[in-house]
Amino acid sequence: MIYGPHDYDLFYEDEDLKIGVEWRGRHFKYYRESNGEKVEKILAASGGRIIVNPVEPVNLPQKITNFLEIDFEKPVLIEPGTSVKLMVKFPVEIGVFVASKKSVEVLDIFTLTKPKYTLYGTPMSGVVCRWYSSEIYFELPETNPLKEGVMDITIKNTSNDWVEVQKAVFDGYSMKIYYGDIVGMVAEMKVIGKSVAETTFINRPIKSGLKKSLELYTARMIPVVERKGFLMEWGLK
Amino acid sequence: MEILGHVVYGDVTVWDILVFITIVTSSVILAKAVRINLKKALSDRIPRNVLDILLKIVYYGIITIAVISVLPQIGINLSGLLVAGGIVGLTIGFASQSVVSNLVSGLFLMMERPVRIGDQIRIGDIMGFVEDIHILSTVVRTYDGVYIRIPNEKVFTSNITNFVANVARRFEYVIGIRYSDDAQKATEIIKKVIEEHPFALKYPAPQVFVNELADSSVNIVVMIWAPSAVWYDVKMELLWKIKVALENEGIEIPFPQRVIWFANRPGGGERDELGENVPA
Repeated sequence: MIYGPHDYDLFYEDEDLKIGVEWRGRHFKYYRESNGEKVEKILAASGGRIIVNPVEPVNLPQKITNFLEIDFEKPVLIEPGTSVKLMVKFPVEIGVFVASKKSVEVLDIFTLTKPKYTLYGTPMSGVVCRWYSSEIYFELPETNPLKEGVMDITIKNTSNDWVEVQKAVFDGYSMKIYYGDIVGMVAEMKVIGKSVAETTFINRPIKSGLKKSLELYTARMIPVVERKGFLMEWGLK
Repeated sequence: MEILGHVVYGDVTVWDILVFITIVTSSVILAKAVRINLKKALSDRIPRNVLDILLKIVYYGIITIAVISVLPQIGINLSGLLVAGGIVGLTIGFASQSVVSNLVSGLFLMMERPVRIGDQIRIGDIMGFVEDIHILSTVVRTYDGVYIRIPNEKVFTSNITNFVANVARRFEYVIGIRYSDDAQKATEIIKKVIEEHPFALKYPAPQVFVNELADSSVNIVVMIWAPSAVWYDVKMELLWKIKVALENEGIEIPFPQRVIWFANRPGGGERDELGENVPA
């Protein structure tokens, strides 16, 4: 398994990805080949740790937003005052960090999926989101943890109407990703009205035995006010 | 040392003036030091436009506080200034109408914020990136790298087009294909190329349709939404990808053409579409 902390002897290779760190006589070299892209970096460090884990999937091919939209392939109708627990898949982006005693720095971010973006809301007041489409599952689906993760969503319909939900939009700054044999997140969607809902993440693993990912904004020491969630005010369909 | 006690005016001595100059100079040095350190500490944590405004507030704030606090040292009484300020202000106001006008416009621009540092804008006939917004003027770097200072009054009273104020914007191409090509197939190829591009937005969905049966080609209009931050990159990348994809499928973009019929051409047989004689 590639995920987790490594010494400067990281090496992993499969048909989609080749990644590693090697000693070149005077310095270490980090290299990565995936999706036809080659990255090489010189590591001027005496040693330390390389940490590889899934990160918020909103960074590639270029950081332009912080939001993730997951479209459900089939809409979900929810009775007033009830809740439903379901699972969807989300794309995985993999962060490679170099850690010393004092600090952690992002070395590389890559993905083995094809990124696609969309607009949620209007061009004037909406948000650009990383887009992903997923089937709905009621049990943990099989996934390749290097490509896809599983999000457990509990949708609570607190309104007095039947609501139809076909998408969920999340704020990347509040994502809590865990990894192990699967990559997972736990989220909640509180439907307030026919076209308004609030999404939040819950800081616990989707199943036991998973480890918490190092978040990008933590690694980059970006001061972020912990947001409660994202208010979906431009519709749920 | 006697000279330090020499009275310059009122009861202000040379010493007082030296103290004033030293404190003001020190405040400028301190303000610069704070600005540099803040810039170092925050430049990768705060967006540049916010950071620039913060740095200005801190820089001018320190100097203003220092100057106001040390003014009594040189015999300037602020309460007296307030009384005199009305008359002086009126005089200065008349004398420097354009400066005041620019200043007020600058304040309104900072409140309304139709443009921010880094935005791509058009003000009147000037296009480029907003480099800085001062209290009296706005600095624009044109696309060819020229520095232009626009007085804020002109910015405030001009039509401002901000190309990146909205999160997404649309662009379009017109792609002509031959009459002999399959337009349906061409639109499918174009849609596939758009789908492959990460920043060609999924929604609002791109539109691809035959728009015109023109003189030399069947014109297909392609409308694509992209995030404002990268729309020009997307526009540049996609056109060539579409052209290559169409050509790979045998669909060509025709040159302008005209069929010429020669009425007095000998033979008089049927003519094909190129005007060549076809034997009867």
